[in-house]
Amino acid sequence: MTPSPSSLPVDQSSHGRTPRPRTGPLAGLRVADFCWMGVGALATRLLADFGADVIKIEGRNRIDLPRRLPIYKGDRLRAYGDEDSAPDPEKGGLFNNFNRNKLGVTINLRLPEGRQLAERLIATSSVVSENFAPGVMENWGLTYGRLRELVPEVIYARMSGFGHTGPHASYRSYGPVVQAVSGLSHISGLPGQEPSGWGLSYMDNMAAYFNSAGLLLAVLQRQRTGRGTEIDVSAVEAGIGLLGPLLLDAEVNHRSTRRPDYPPGNRLEHPPAAPHGVYPSRGEDEWVAIAVFNDDEWDRLVAALGQPAWTADPRFGSQSSRHAHQDPLDEHLSAWTRDRLRHETMDLLQAAGVRAAAVQNARDLTTTDPQVAAHGLFFELDHPVIGPALFEGVPFLASSFTPDHWRSAPLMGEDNAYVFKTFVGLADDEYDGLVERGVIE
Amino acid sequence: MSGSDASGGPPCTGLVVVELADDPAGELTGFLLAQMGATVRKLEGPGGAASRSAGPFAGDLADPEASLPYWFYNGNKDSVVADLATPDGRAVFEAELAGADVLLSTLAPRHLRRLALALDELVAARPELIVVSVTPFGLTGAWADYLSSDLVGLAASGLLNMSGYDDHTIPPIRPGGDQGYHVAGTFAHMATLLALVERGRSGRGGLVDVSMHDALAVTCELSNPFWFYPGFVVRRQTCRHAQPVPTQPAHFLCGDGRYVYFALILAEQKPWQALVEWMATLDMALDLSDAAFLDVGHRQANFAYIQNLVECFFLVQDSLSVYHDGQARGLPIGILNAPEDLFDDEHLQARQFFVPVDQPGVGTVRYPGPPYRFSAFPPVARRAAPTLGAAAPTGPAD
Repeated sequence: MTPSPSSLPVDQSSHGRTPRPRTGPLAGLRVADFCWMGVGALATRLLADFGADVIKIEGRNRIDLPRRLPIYKGDRLRAYGDEDSAPDPEKGGLFNNFNRNKLGVTINLRLPEGRQLAERLIATSSVVSENFAPGVMENWGLTYGRLRELVPEVIYARMSGFGHTGPHASYRSYGPVVQAVSGLSHISGLPGQEPSGWGLSYMDNMAAYFNSAGLLLAVLQRQRTGRGTEIDVSAVEAGIGLLGPLLLDAEVNHRSTRRPDYPPGNRLEHPPAAPHGVYPSRGEDEWVAIAVFNDDEWDRLVAALGQPAWTADPRFGSQSSRHAHQDPLDEHLSAWTRDRLRHETMDLLQAAGVRAAAVQNARDLTTTDPQVAAHGLFFELDHPVIGPALFEGVPFLASSFTPDHWRSAPLMGEDNAYVFKTFVGLADDEYDGLVERGVIE
Repeated sequence: MSGSDASGGPPCTGLVVVELADDPAGELTGFLLAQMGATVRKLEGPGGAASRSAGPFAGDLADPEASLPYWFYNGNKDSVVADLATPDGRAVFEAELAGADVLLSTLAPRHLRRLALALDELVAARPELIVVSVTPFGLTGAWADYLSSDLVGLAASGLLNMSGYDDHTIPPIRPGGDQGYHVAGTFAHMATLLALVERGRSGRGGLVDVSMHDALAVTCELSNPFWFYPGFVVRRQTCRHAQPVPTQPAHFLCGDGRYVYFALILAEQKPWQALVEWMATLDMALDLSDAAFLDVGHRQANFAYIQNLVECFFLVQDSLSVYHDGQARGLPIGILNAPEDLFDDEHLQARQFFVPVDQPGVGTVRYPGPPYRFSAFPPVARRAAPTLGAAAPTGPAD
């Protein structure tokens, strides 16, 4: 009964790359997916993982950025922005990671015939998703009103940085801009210094997840009532919702976050935990996080350290006093952590009942992390150009359904014939004509 | 399941959720369901959920009815007092559960053992029941009994390693706002919705085991792909993407002492020209208007010089002007808002994003609205979080 990852890793050899009926809660759901970039691709990835036929609609004159970014097997050391001048769109690892389990078609939407073909594809689908700048879908005539003519109870999921209405609807954004505008960057850093913010496009992930949730809510709603819906997700608004209670501190207590002791770095104001920080470990740039929330946890930490004399300092005699004297406290604790390996400290403190974790990286997750291994979180799929690669799986195990990882990301237009002949019902000669005229690219 | 308005109500209308949640991950999950119309019965011990004793407090008064974390995560819920360690409390739990579609639990494996509560047995007894467990490391695996917190969870996942300053004598710095718990709650919400779709098709519920550690480990954007493909571990940089190699700073200080985020990308012609035209309006483009700078190679060779001029250009303006003027020219510039700035944002006001809630004893409090808007049904009005035990327990099951 307990969910188990025993079905992983996935063996692809039995079915290769030919599309097949999917399994999972969303099997039978067909999505005409105009999403692109990381944030768009992630939003529909969950649907594809759990059985939906997600048809990624691409064009050869607008190559998806994750196809171009140089995250390549065996590549030299370089930043992701350091693109090749004419990159091979099939080589991109980021695209592979984001678009597994999806079908891929290529349509030239600049041509009237291309837009007609897109409408025919939409007419055989029941969900349409997109994350272009507001106005792009309208320019192609693909308004919610038009989609309802094609599919009366369509679900039309739209996501953008600022939402589809309001004076800043056309503002441009990507993850770090969303994090800045929503307040998430400002609240992160050491007091009195430039904010350290985020080392990733956190809001690409989170806006995508809320878009996935919105899509699932719409699917549930249609299951209950038979009715479709348009969905508007603003990444900035999703980000503001993630600020949490400190937004209420500003609203209710009129407490400004523009004050000299804010943000608190790794220290915690509420509750007054101490020690609460990230401490040096043996090795270059290696660290361990330790968090002590009450006297019991402090006593266990002291016991784990072997009750050194400094822990008896009256300044460290209560939680509030420790919180008031974090500079000397952190100094003592750092002297102890500095000579130990980060995982050694983690295991020793956890065995004593103290909250602690090594500051891990992707190599640790992949090679030594016991949870990632036990849960089968990372799994392997083959790809015709890239070869076998690891993928980030789903972070939950369910007893009544499992993800259906059937294939790595589609090559450009890999499923044109399958989708347009099987789903749309084009005859062979009609299909050939569209290919010849460059409508199907 | 039937709602009161013409649309049939929001998607979770009629759904009953019993919540045993003592951290923001579980409480957020329950709230996201309540926000879509579910009846969420939050069971709390006689002293109240842990979040009631967490600050900050309204008026800075430590009072279980004034906890802002409790208010934030528990709107639209019912509070029922039940101490699961006592026979009476256990009876309340069982009566509540008998009428529920979903049990939401943040009980760690050791707590489940102490309470002699087996989640898989609950499902075995009622196969249509959905049990969603959200815990720091999941219910299984060598670390399942390890203790965690937001900081500890972020550290173990790889996300903390990506965030901090260029100066690596400074440790990685935790991004603010309990995001470890938020990521876990967001995944628990999606997993619950998938389980509901599955139950709608097959009639089967089941146990869903969500791990905060795993949820964070797949929310690190580029770090896993950089390891999976070229095999590099990324290194943190001040408020910009952790990368295998260093990149240019992206924060610019403005004349009002506030920052904007702007990644100066020189490879593309159109934004380059937009930037130079903009700088020329204050006579600060200098020689950047020269034809030589139309060549990408020349621009890249003079990156430091250009960065310097842009720094000066922003430093003589205030941050709001830089944000709006830059965006008007199509440049993806973001102002670093403070949370308190957001209530005055004209765009958010026009979209009526913040929703007023009548908070007894305090007055009107503005909360953020839902992360999604649906044309098919109106949003559920936000209700203030309940006082402890405000809802009477459900009567015993027949």
